[in-house]
Amino acid sequence: MRQVKLVLWIWILGCATLTAQNKQILYDFTEIPQALMINPGMSTDFQWYAGIPVLSGISFQAGSSGLTVNDLFADDGVDFNVKVRERAIYGMSTRDELSGTYQVELFNGGFRGRNRDNFYSFGIYNEGDAIGYWFKDYAILAFEGNADQLGRKFDLGHLKTRGEMLNVFHFGLNKRVNGALTLGGRAKIYSSAFNFSSTKNKGYFVTNQGQNNILANTIDADLELRSSGLNEIEDAIDNDSSLLPGILTRRLFFGGDLGFGIDLGFTYKLNKQTVITGSLLDLGFIYSSTDVKNYTIKGNATVEGIEVILPDAFSNSNTDFWQDLIDEVDALVPHGTNNNSYIYFRPTKLYGSIRYNWGEPSNNNMDCDCNYMVSKRKDYTKYANGVGGQLYMINRPRGPQAALTAFYLRRFGRALALKTTYTVDKFSWSNIGLGLNLQAGPVNIYVMADNLLAYKNLADSHYSSFQLGLNIISWGKK
Amino acid sequence: MFGMKNRILLPTIILLALYSCIETQNFDQYDDLEITPTVEASILYIESPERIINEASGQYYYSQDFNFDGLSVDAFADRVIEGSIFFEIENTTSKEFKPTVEFLDEGGNTIDTIDFPVQQPYQILPYYLQVPYGPGKQRSIEIIKNTSSIKVSVLIEDNSSVSDLPDPKIIFRSNGKFRLRLK
Repeated sequence: MRQVKLVLWIWILGCATLTAQNKQILYDFTEIPQALMINPGMSTDFQWYAGIPVLSGISFQAGSSGLTVNDLFADDGVDFNVKVRERAIYGMSTRDELSGTYQVELFNGGFRGRNRDNFYSFGIYNEGDAIGYWFKDYAILAFEGNADQLGRKFDLGHLKTRGEMLNVFHFGLNKRVNGALTLGGRAKIYSSAFNFSSTKNKGYFVTNQGQNNILANTIDADLELRSSGLNEIEDAIDNDSSLLPGILTRRLFFGGDLGFGIDLGFTYKLNKQTVITGSLLDLGFIYSSTDVKNYTIKGNATVEGIEVILPDAFSNSNTDFWQDLIDEVDALVPHGTNNNSYIYFRPTKLYGSIRYNWGEPSNNNMDCDCNYMVSKRKDYTKYANGVGGQLYMINRPRGPQAALTAFYLRRFGRALALKTTYTVDKFSWSNIGLGLNLQAGPVNIYVMADNLLAYKNLADSHYSSFQLGLNIISWGKK
Repeated sequence: MFGMKNRILLPTIILLALYSCIETQNFDQYDDLEITPTVEASILYIESPERIINEASGQYYYSQDFNFDGLSVDAFADRVIEGSIFFEIENTTSKEFKPTVEFLDEGGNTIDTIDFPVQQPYQILPYYLQVPYGPGKQRSIEIIKNTSSIKVSVLIEDNSSVSDLPDPKIIFRSNGKFRLRLK
């Protein structure tokens, strides 16, 4: 039970501070090395780059599709209980979610190989991800109870959540196949600190008119919460929190659950000015065998209280009918824990885009002493403008989630590029984002934020994200 | 080039800084949240055919304690605010009788007694009784919190007459409906 509480806390805290995973501003922003992380087949002309450790790529996102902080906590004079009832309990659907992701690159680097068509990248990043769907029927049951709800089935399948923290060690190859096509792939080793998931729950709880007695309560449940790595963390929190950094560090560097995954991507020039791209990320799994504890409830039972039918009950006058009832329910709906290892799959992501470029190509002979910024790739032309659309999908416990983005990219020479996006997804239909990339000599800085319209009242935002990074980039000597 | 950057960057940052704000939020409202569900479930069902009563020699006296820890377990007793117990008695026998229900604490002491009126014979329509507990009611909710067992007693003097209704029996039903405070 304490572990269930820990999961709840991780979920609530995680979701309150983390973000959704779509990096639509960064995607195909070819000036930025970290864009390779979301399309290993991105067209690139770097000679080498080195991310500033811990600062090269930081991203946070948080999304709540059904409710905002302002919906509940605005100082509007409305009774808080009314707001919770109308806006949360009954206002949200089971598809509404609270979710978040963060990523911090510990280091990231890349270099062009002897074969000039090959570009290699590598690094380590830390990632946390959590999602919880609105457990509507559980909430109604908790707030209203089962009284005067004859025949209403409370769906126990409404509990769907999962979360994890892990380090990802990766090595990727980006290969220019010809002037039109670039392919890329990345191998990843996952080292997980902990994970939990409860995504395949089924069953219901219902109160009906009884066959003998006045009421009959029926539960039909097939519930499971799987967790790995939480026991030791919980003990450390309870007994000696100074042990926690050591536990996490050990697990994040191959001392915990391990897994393997790949990223794939491509860029293809349909013609001189039109480009399509695509990528598939985190096609992988983790084998959980460290510190595993799974909770299960499975079975069905109908209870009408203690039932005594004479004369049969006379023969058992000393019977503890109450204990018999408890034992019977326990037998019919067994619940317990186990330590069975399990495999879980990472949330796989898919990106795709089409871009039309136009305008004056970037001038290679810039009026600055920055020859390290000049590409030797004759086929690598950067136009001043780009416009297009992107698709993003992620595999979630309730099925794939999608987002559509329209974007406009504007380059001001090679030192400054801006990308603005308009994204439609389940969180918002008015998500406008802005990304800015600055190249000051070899120093590359980028900052991105989206859902900017929500900044007029951040507390009323369903979604917000922020990314920044700092790199040193070389395009080689002229 | 940097002039160009400044012309774009600075206004953008200033505009965003001026534009972004957070309306006043009052997180103390959470203290006002009340989670008080009402739950209900059956408690006790007793069924006795007329045949059993007539088999007794002399008066038929039935009395039994039923352990019922469901009301005194901490998960319930610490949270219950108020509620009611509903009784339903069906008597299709030819006998009249007067049942009694007592609530006993863990030490076996009677902490509440419910005296039912005399139940008439051939009572096809059930007799209903609601006994409320809690603030403003005649009975304290503490009775419910401390109830560890339920004693049902019935004395029937007539053990010879036979009802002409089909399958004559006495049926005692009960259920509880309670409001809990979870927060």
